[in-house]
Amino acid sequence: MALSGSLIDNPLTGDPFSGFGLGLRRAHYADFLESDVAVDFVEIISENYMVEGGNPLRVLEQVRAKMPVIMHGVSMSIGSADGLDRDYLAKLKALADRIEPLWVSDHLCWTRTSAHNSHDLLPMPYTHDALDLVCDNIDHAQNVLGRTMLFENPSSYMTFPEDEMSEWEFIAAMAMRTRCYLLLDVNNIYVSAHNHGFSATDYLDGLPLDRVRQVHLAGHTEGTIKIDTHDQPVCDGVWDLYAKAMQRLGPVATMIERDDRIPPLPELLVELDRAAQIAEAARQPVAA
Amino acid sequence: MVAAAPHQSLADKQREFMAQLLDEERALPESWTDRHAAGMDIYRNAYRARLVDALRDTYNRTAKWVGEDAYRQAAAHHIITRPPNSWTLDHAADGFPDTLRELFRSNPEVAELGWLEWAMHQAFVAADAEPLDAAGLGEIAAGFAEEDWANMRLTFLPGTDQLPIAHDIGVLWRALGEDSREEDGESPDFSAAEPLHCVVWREGIKPVFMQVKDAEGRALQMMRDGATYGGMCEALIEMLGEEDAVARAGAMLGRWLHNGLIASVSK
Repeated sequence: MALSGSLIDNPLTGDPFSGFGLGLRRAHYADFLESDVAVDFVEIISENYMVEGGNPLRVLEQVRAKMPVIMHGVSMSIGSADGLDRDYLAKLKALADRIEPLWVSDHLCWTRTSAHNSHDLLPMPYTHDALDLVCDNIDHAQNVLGRTMLFENPSSYMTFPEDEMSEWEFIAAMAMRTRCYLLLDVNNIYVSAHNHGFSATDYLDGLPLDRVRQVHLAGHTEGTIKIDTHDQPVCDGVWDLYAKAMQRLGPVATMIERDDRIPPLPELLVELDRAAQIAEAARQPVAA
Repeated sequence: MVAAAPHQSLADKQREFMAQLLDEERALPESWTDRHAAGMDIYRNAYRARLVDALRDTYNRTAKWVGEDAYRQAAAHHIITRPPNSWTLDHAADGFPDTLRELFRSNPEVAELGWLEWAMHQAFVAADAEPLDAAGLGEIAAGFAEEDWANMRLTFLPGTDQLPIAHDIGVLWRALGEDSREEDGESPDFSAAEPLHCVVWREGIKPVFMQVKDAEGRALQMMRDGATYGGMCEALIEMLGEEDAVARAGAMLGRWLHNGLIASVSK
């Protein structure tokens, strides 16, 4: 099946969609329904809306009538050696067909075996065997959905003795082989660079940045091992890394992810405005 | 399940990792270092915390009723005995009322309250459907011959559910509403004076419930199981006697229509 990149890039100009958005969370439903929130898009957790009916879908359709929506999933388990869940893919496709999102994304990770589901984004070993598997699964998912997907670089808390390549080498090969796009989570790079002792700049330089169509920014919990908790503001280190990323990237969509201790919407809009300022500054030529 | 290419070694490693996640006592692979162990600790904690929180989202009132410590123990027991196997986190909460029934044998209202929370949660995201009202039934019934009434079957709104209960969990539900605090001290007795059924459905976007007497609950269960109206009336006659049954059957049908439980009728 021919997959269309034009679902993601502007079909007339070929330019990637760009802008600044937020996650659509239940705490902010009233804000989005009753006012014109100054964002260019919202991102949903796909699984929260893969239901038969009721208020979640009603809200989503009303918000969709106002602005573009991105579907971001956590349960595809693209790295699962037991294969993809047919029921999950069918429900995801049904939601995508209904909502007509800008794009559908998920994570480079695995979440399940055929017997159990962890409901967590578990780490992949970066081996050639795992790369073959992930690419096969991405091809399958993209064919079922009829869409080119975005996959997000994970945060992780351990690596495996059998690793044969770096995470960025794995992702670069994955993007080249499947032609999928990338969702660059800057906080995840920051967290994993700390946890595993690699250079975040090397990571950025090793990725095919022309495949990046979206950036995630989020907060994390400090510690000997940093944890990607999405429960606090973006820290200065992540802002600095975002600036470096935006100096390397063309126009892409950027959003703040907040999933716990969710503040009033205005606080998130202030954070989003900071992202817009950094992105704008990154586009300015550097003075000699 | 869609078969992936045979990556047996990776599949084995993922099963072992999952086993590590589910069983905190399991020995780590020999090739793992202390650093791997520290990483696995984070994944184990996140797994447990996410599921305990997900259960609390659905069973918030039950958690308040039994208290935080008892709730956490019950949730941990449920996660260990019924580890999730569906892509949707919602399903991790499925079966928790059975766990509550097993763990709180001396307080059977706990499982009944848990059932109500699960049923309300299910109704919240059930498929959309328009309820039939009395006028709608009137239009359909205008063409009914007498025997059509006896042969009439009802289809109820998606998400409709019911449970025989021995406690007034409606009072308990309201007492444990959003502004209430965790219970402490002696628990009041919520035993019902007579057997009841709790019926859950959705009005528009809002899940709602009512408690009905045993005869109505059994009649409703029969109709939800596909019985004809005539068959249900015969059962009511056995339960209540002919005089009461005829009056009650009409009143019940009217109430189900008025409350918006019925989606359609067929003959």
